[in-house]
Amino acid sequence: MIMNNLIEKLTDIFREVFDDDSIVLRNELTADDVENWDSLTHINLIVAIEKEFKIRFTTGEVSGLKNVGDLISLVSRKISA
Amino acid sequence: MLVVHQRNMQTDNLPDLDYRRLLAASRKLSAASPKPALKLALLSDAATQQFVPLLKAILDRNGFSAEIYEGAFDAVELEAYNPSSRFYAFGPDVVVILNATQALRASFAKRNGSAASFTDGFLEKTQSIWNAIQSHCNATIIQSNFALPLEKYFGNYDLKAADSFYSAVHALNTGLTQKARGQNGVLLLDIEGVASYIGRKHFFDDRFWDMWKTFCSFDALPYVAQNLVDILMAMRGRVVKCMVLDLDNTLWGGVIGDDGLEGIKLSAHGEGEAWHRFQCFLKELKQRGILLAVCSKNDEQNALLPFQSHPEMVLKKEDITIFVANWNDKAENIRAIQQALNIGFDSMVFVDDNPFERNMVRELVPGIIVPELPDDPSEYVRFLCELNLFETTSFSSEDLQRAEMYKQEASRRAVAASYASVEEFLQSLDMRIVVSRFDSFHLPRIAQLIQRSNQFNLTTRRRSEAECERLMHDPDMFPLYVKLSDKLGDHGLISVVILKPDNECLEITDWLMSCRVLSRGVEQYVMNEVFAIAAKNGLKHVAGTYIPTAKNGMVRDFFRSFGFLQTADTPEATRWILAVDSYVPRNTYIKSCEPEAEAVA
Repeated sequence: MIMNNLIEKLTDIFREVFDDDSIVLRNELTADDVENWDSLTHINLIVAIEKEFKIRFTTGEVSGLKNVGDLISLVSRKISA
Repeated sequence: MLVVHQRNMQTDNLPDLDYRRLLAASRKLSAASPKPALKLALLSDAATQQFVPLLKAILDRNGFSAEIYEGAFDAVELEAYNPSSRFYAFGPDVVVILNATQALRASFAKRNGSAASFTDGFLEKTQSIWNAIQSHCNATIIQSNFALPLEKYFGNYDLKAADSFYSAVHALNTGLTQKARGQNGVLLLDIEGVASYIGRKHFFDDRFWDMWKTFCSFDALPYVAQNLVDILMAMRGRVVKCMVLDLDNTLWGGVIGDDGLEGIKLSAHGEGEAWHRFQCFLKELKQRGILLAVCSKNDEQNALLPFQSHPEMVLKKEDITIFVANWNDKAENIRAIQQALNIGFDSMVFVDDNPFERNMVRELVPGIIVPELPDDPSEYVRFLCELNLFETTSFSSEDLQRAEMYKQEASRRAVAASYASVEEFLQSLDMRIVVSRFDSFHLPRIAQLIQRSNQFNLTTRRRSEAECERLMHDPDMFPLYVKLSDKLGDHGLISVVILKPDNECLEITDWLMSCRVLSRGVEQYVMNEVFAIAAKNGLKHVAGTYIPTAKNGMVRDFFRSFGFLQTADTPEATRWILAVDSYVPRNTYIKSCEPEAEAVA
């Protein structure tokens, strides 16, 4: 999948999960920067991404995520695998 | 009309249980919902934060809102045993105890001794939690059972090895079932049923347990929520009472008028088995108290033929409470059936293979449930079961007799037609009544009537069985049930009236009655009793409230008809009062059955 397409889809998911249409993804973005990004919405984010891309994260991958950049590269690795 | 449509869209087809879409719907719910609210406490040894939004979204779809108290994680006992906990302060109508197989596994790993002593200990603990909750509040308890674990240590031999975790969970589920059967006010949430429906492989997702203590996958979670909502809706009176059935290509294959008795498809094996199975399914429903009515476009003679002469018919003529076969439009016929049975349209399910008839009935009979049957009759039973239309929270001997009672009612009508006046007819019925304080024998039926009565119901307070039990023991209250019989048969327990003395006034807090026994003087007889109780206890007035709902318009002027004076009139309620001295006792043709009636006042 082309990277732009991936980011576009992820952006849609972020906007849906955090109920905020102004979210713009960048690599350095973290939970601290997004209102409502708490442990509960984090679950919903992970579940939505798994469904959307038909992938499955390991617990280690989920807990190892530091920022959106990590997430984008993890998802792109998973879908090209 | 739009509202009706939305409702049908969900009840007629399988509900949308997609986690993301439900979550999005839940976010759009406004905090101050105008829908009737339910106070629900959720106690669990798993995390429930992901479960609650789903519950709210599905309740909203069904026309309800919920105020939900989430107990602290894994603190079921702490909440239950502490009378001053926030849990009790919340005042729940319903307490859901959700136990996770994963949490059970962890404590099973720490057991000392046999699996049997582990399960016994768990069951004892669970029952003492129920007892504690019931001693501190009136809520109905909904206890989950356990999804069977995936792991096996002996393979298929796990079932023979009583000490395996798999066998222990089996035993626990059986034990919970037995304990819940023996305890009023405790219902079961069949999580194992949900898990095996979905497939346990897809139900469990241990990653989510490890990371967030979520007890199942996010695909499965909405199914658990839907099942819980189904129970809650049944508690609030949404129950199916009657199946209205088409005949040709619904109960048998082919058209009786064209194909004849030998030509229609219906047999225990082979081409007609699908319809045979469907008839067996309907017969079971009939035996569990759901009325069957026929509504067919046919000449009556043709329509009756298979019932009389087809050797493979499972349903017999006497299984059908009302048989309508003519060429009128079905909406009109269904209205006639509804009037004859005196039940709400929303407690009727219309089953017809013909999409044209389904759409027409859906359009013209607001509220009726019209399942969008699959094309293949082999799928009828599975599809209707997936809709989970037949949820109930009680089952009493009255359910078994219901069909018979409606039959007797039909013969009463026939008898009535032959009398010159209503009075003469009522007199001829030789009606006998019992008005008595609640007793434990009748509690299940009392609670059931409270859940089911929508039309003749002054305040529509859905009291739980536990609450009824508490009223029964309250010496200050007069919680009364009414039973009626006549020479043609027994009506059973048909009315509930709850009275509360307050200063010099006797307050009617609840008054409801089955519509089966309208216009026979029952309410007049009971009102005489109410005033007799007031007089006997030195009370000066009788007062009551009418709380309007979408369905109880028939009792809007109930108090006025007895001469009560209106003291308040708001959209939410009207208030009424009448001095004991001013009440004129009503004439009835009902005699009391002595000993029990004595016990009232």
